[in-house]
Amino acid sequence: MSRARGSGLVELLAGTALGLIVLGALTGAVATGARVLAVAAGRGELEDIAHIAVECLTFDVRRAGYDPAGGGVVAVTEAFGDRVTLSADLDGDGAVAPDSEETVAYVCAGGQLSRIVGRQSMPVADGVSACRLRYLDASGASLAVPPTGLAATDRTRIRAIALDLTVSAPGLAMPTSRTTLVSLRTPP
Amino acid sequence: MTRRARATTGGVTLLAALAALAVALALSAGIAEVTRTEVSLARSRRATAAALAAADGCLARGLAGLPPGWSFDEALAGTDGVGGTMDDGLLTLPPGCSGRAEATPAPAAGPAARPRLLVTVEGRADGGRRVVQALLGRSPGPGLPALAWLGELPPTGVITGALVLDGADRTDASAPPWAGLAAPADPATLDAWLTAEAARTTRTAVTQAPFSGAPPPVTALAARLQAAGPAGAEVLVASGIPTPARAFVATDLVVPGSLEGAGLLVVGGSLDIRGALHFTGVVVAMGGVRIAAGASLVVDGALWIGAPSVPGSSLRVDGRLELRQDRVAMATADGLVPLPRVAVLLGLRDLG
Repeated sequence: MSRARGSGLVELLAGTALGLIVLGALTGAVATGARVLAVAAGRGELEDIAHIAVECLTFDVRRAGYDPAGGGVVAVTEAFGDRVTLSADLDGDGAVAPDSEETVAYVCAGGQLSRIVGRQSMPVADGVSACRLRYLDASGASLAVPPTGLAATDRTRIRAIALDLTVSAPGLAMPTSRTTLVSLRTPP
Repeated sequence: MTRRARATTGGVTLLAALAALAVALALSAGIAEVTRTEVSLARSRRATAAALAAADGCLARGLAGLPPGWSFDEALAGTDGVGGTMDDGLLTLPPGCSGRAEATPAPAAGPAARPRLLVTVEGRADGGRRVVQALLGRSPGPGLPALAWLGELPPTGVITGALVLDGADRTDASAPPWAGLAAPADPATLDAWLTAEAARTTRTAVTQAPFSGAPPPVTALAARLQAAGPAGAEVLVASGIPTPARAFVATDLVVPGSLEGAGLLVVGGSLDIRGALHFTGVVVAMGGVRIAAGASLVVDGALWIGAPSVPGSSLRVDGRLELRQDRVAMATADGLVPLPRVAVLLGLRDLG
């Protein structure tokens, strides 16, 4: 009887140890999996944010200066290193409404890149750690942007707009960067 | 421990292990789902980008395919060239694209009063589809940015004398330089032609590479010139400063002596230079140009040669042909009779 009890204790200890090892391995695997899932989801979201920001700017720059009525629309009405305002006559009425989609501004400020339409500001990218707008002339050279922004005569020389954007997110070691260069579709 | 107790402990361990396994499986499924979603998004983005690139490319091809002219009536008439038919506005575009053109209302005065065209192009690629709408117009500058605009590329060996091409603007050093040559041939063929004639051709460093272009609309230009009441060959003077004028010679024009001229000269036949002609403006030779040995033709502006009735007879230079860019002379000629212009992109927007 006592031999049977001693044998049972050893078996119990061995079984418990094996069980703990298996549980530990599984817990570790689960924890790693959870981390991978979180990182993958976070990375995917970060890439989406950067991509959407680039897509939005590309969309608006491509249509800047659209002027079906020949009203003399100026494609770029403001050009700073951290802010650009684009105009287009989308409804063909010969005028650019300042509080509609016809006037769109992009602003890098407060860790965000925002798309501003009238009084509505929509952040297209959060967690922005670097954001810079550049303006290129017909030869591909960057125009020097003074703190007061490009003057009207210099804005007419803009043939392309570049955006350098870096976004990061908590829990992700590496930020995501995008540089895009979009040509204006207006005659020089 | 009793057999019952051992069995209970083993069961708890098994349950815990199964629970942990279930969590691990759920996590794995989550990772797989995130991956699947991202892959799907990436595919969608790639298809969208490919379709947009296709639409942009088709628009560029369509733009390049529009012949230089004064209006967009040809494009609006469709592929059959007849207005009021089903294919009005239908554009000929590369495979994978479709597009239509329509007239756009324009103000009666100002730069916007120039002819314009609203073009909608749909591009499809990799399962994606994008539509862009473009506003086209005619370039502010007349003609093509080329010194010689030919209706056909002549065979090699037609230059036994000298051909001098200077793409720099004589009147404005900051102006973009022109190409030496434009003709309806692929760029490689044009390059090969210039290379074959290189021993007898001088091109300044700024002169741009030749490019493909539709033939110059010389017949339509001649009709416009005739309607404007032109003078004849008498506007070419032997001495003194010539006054810019409209000149039309219906037949061949032979220049035996030394003459000067300015403005717009259209020759219905061939231009046969046996002496020397210096012209400031645009010279149009519908039947080709021949320059005899020892003779010279200097054009400050542009030389346009139509496709003659005899193929390969568009150009023969046994003497000297010198072409130099001169925008002021081009503008003066354009003021005498409006010159054809190439189609350019004025604006664009994505429709989705």
